[in-house]
Amino acid sequence: MGPLIPQGIISGELNFFFAFIIGLAFGFILEQAGFSTSRKLAGVFYGYDFVVLKVFFTAGITAATAMFFMKYLGWIDFNFLYINPLYVWSAIIGGVIMGVGFIMGGFCPGTSFAAAVIGKIDAIVFIAGMFLGIFIFGTFYPTFEPIHLGHFLGNVFIHDTLGIKQSWFLFFLIFMALIAFAVTQKIENNASRFKELLYAEKVNLRWPTFFIIVLALTAVIIPQKRASFVYEPTATALHKEILSSDRYVKYDKAAFSIINKPGDMQFIDVRSREAFENFHLPGAIHIPLHKFTDKNVKVFINELNATPVLYANASPLADKAWFFARRSGIKNVKVLEGGLNHFFDKIFTEHQWEETTDIEVLSYMRFINRARDYFLKDHYESIPSKKEPHELPTPQTREIAGGC
Amino acid sequence: MNPYLAGFLLGLVLALTFFISGRGLGASGAIKSTVITIVGQVSPEKAQASSFFAEYFSPISPMRSWLVFEVLGLLTGAFLSGFLSGRLKLKVDKGPNIKIRTRLFFALAGGILFGIGSQLGRGCTSGAALSGMAIFSTGGFLTMMAIFGTGYVIAYFFRKLWI
Repeated sequence: MGPLIPQGIISGELNFFFAFIIGLAFGFILEQAGFSTSRKLAGVFYGYDFVVLKVFFTAGITAATAMFFMKYLGWIDFNFLYINPLYVWSAIIGGVIMGVGFIMGGFCPGTSFAAAVIGKIDAIVFIAGMFLGIFIFGTFYPTFEPIHLGHFLGNVFIHDTLGIKQSWFLFFLIFMALIAFAVTQKIENNASRFKELLYAEKVNLRWPTFFIIVLALTAVIIPQKRASFVYEPTATALHKEILSSDRYVKYDKAAFSIINKPGDMQFIDVRSREAFENFHLPGAIHIPLHKFTDKNVKVFINELNATPVLYANASPLADKAWFFARRSGIKNVKVLEGGLNHFFDKIFTEHQWEETTDIEVLSYMRFINRARDYFLKDHYESIPSKKEPHELPTPQTREIAGGC
Repeated sequence: MNPYLAGFLLGLVLALTFFISGRGLGASGAIKSTVITIVGQVSPEKAQASSFFAEYFSPISPMRSWLVFEVLGLLTGAFLSGFLSGRLKLKVDKGPNIKIRTRLFFALAGGILFGIGSQLGRGCTSGAALSGMAIFSTGGFLTMMAIFGTGYVIAYFFRKLWI
């Protein structure tokens, strides 16, 4: 289902509207949490006020737990999310520079906005500094570039880096956060000389703690699913599917669908562009083999009302496309058995029909004769095409930019 | 607001952001868009010369970005919160033992470093560290550890600023 905008489920026009609303909540929460006071923020480094750690880790484990379960339930497809690309050097060096900036400035960008707007002059100066810093970065970009683009490892997940299951990582993350909360609460209680900063009301944390521990355990206990879901078959299921010939559509079924029920099957030509333009089945669309792993192809085919039927000149190329399609999670996709060659061989071969009274054979004969008429060039071209052959629609999915 | 409650709500907002827009929260990117736009307006030659500022010439204006609208919301939301809690007031927060001038000097220096660091690290505390944590991104965790690790290592040398 989600994410809604990248998959085109709600219009991209609304994206900026949601951005504003989300920002509204973000800003309100930051300010309410006390993030508009630099001295409270810096407290995390000196042990007198751990509001940063509390808010940050609570938000982190809440969001991570929510994402984990949304993914598990199939509510959100991670393939469509912006996952921070990992450039090792820039991630570390950028982080170190920001760490120094944090201690000196007492803010990070988000909190400085929240503070500036309620009148904190140090925050306004901090923001001016950020303008300067980004200007400096842009001006000397060629100098920074080797670090910025150094040692790229892709969009990697922490559990893959550590070589453990995602659920276990979530479990440990929650476990560590709870320990950190307990320890820092002790330290904070002892740092009595900064009491005036700690104006937060006390709440009963017994039930929330119990709840998050239950969720952490649930994450580990529930049966593991594969990381990429959208109907992707397991290895054994796929193995079975490959060996079976259920995926093949016979020539007569295909011809019947073209002639009588054009909405039943969506023919997809996987050959080259030239071959497609030279000839294709009526109503077919062209998706070349290498496009089958594209996200928008996946979404497009999955949302077809008709059964997708792949074809090429013979079976093997269409079979390859079928394999890509199944592997990337396209369900219920078929292949035209024997391809176009077999299809036309069967329909145009002159049969010597034997005299028979078998109703099955007779109706088959009639059908083949009709199909032959239909596909005979002159006739075929004189039939007003019920469906114009068309292209794969332009991507409905939006590439997601992200970062900060 | 109790910090744990605030964190819980922030976590829900973050997960909702991913669910709706497919990306996380952020902040510094809005300044980046603004800087690029200003440089492009003031000196197109300079913008042309750097691949960083050249984004100004992309068909979609850098100001039409998700983060710019999110930050406009952030400013509005924080203002509302400050207004409702009666915290709207011009002031400088600082440790008791330093002058206001010193505080502002270090605020500027910190801002400059955060500006550079956030561009280098592809995101700040919210965009890289927090949002990265929500989606289990290695880059996010690495940046988070670098930010807070460095903070603890050097905190001692800057203690005068805060305590």
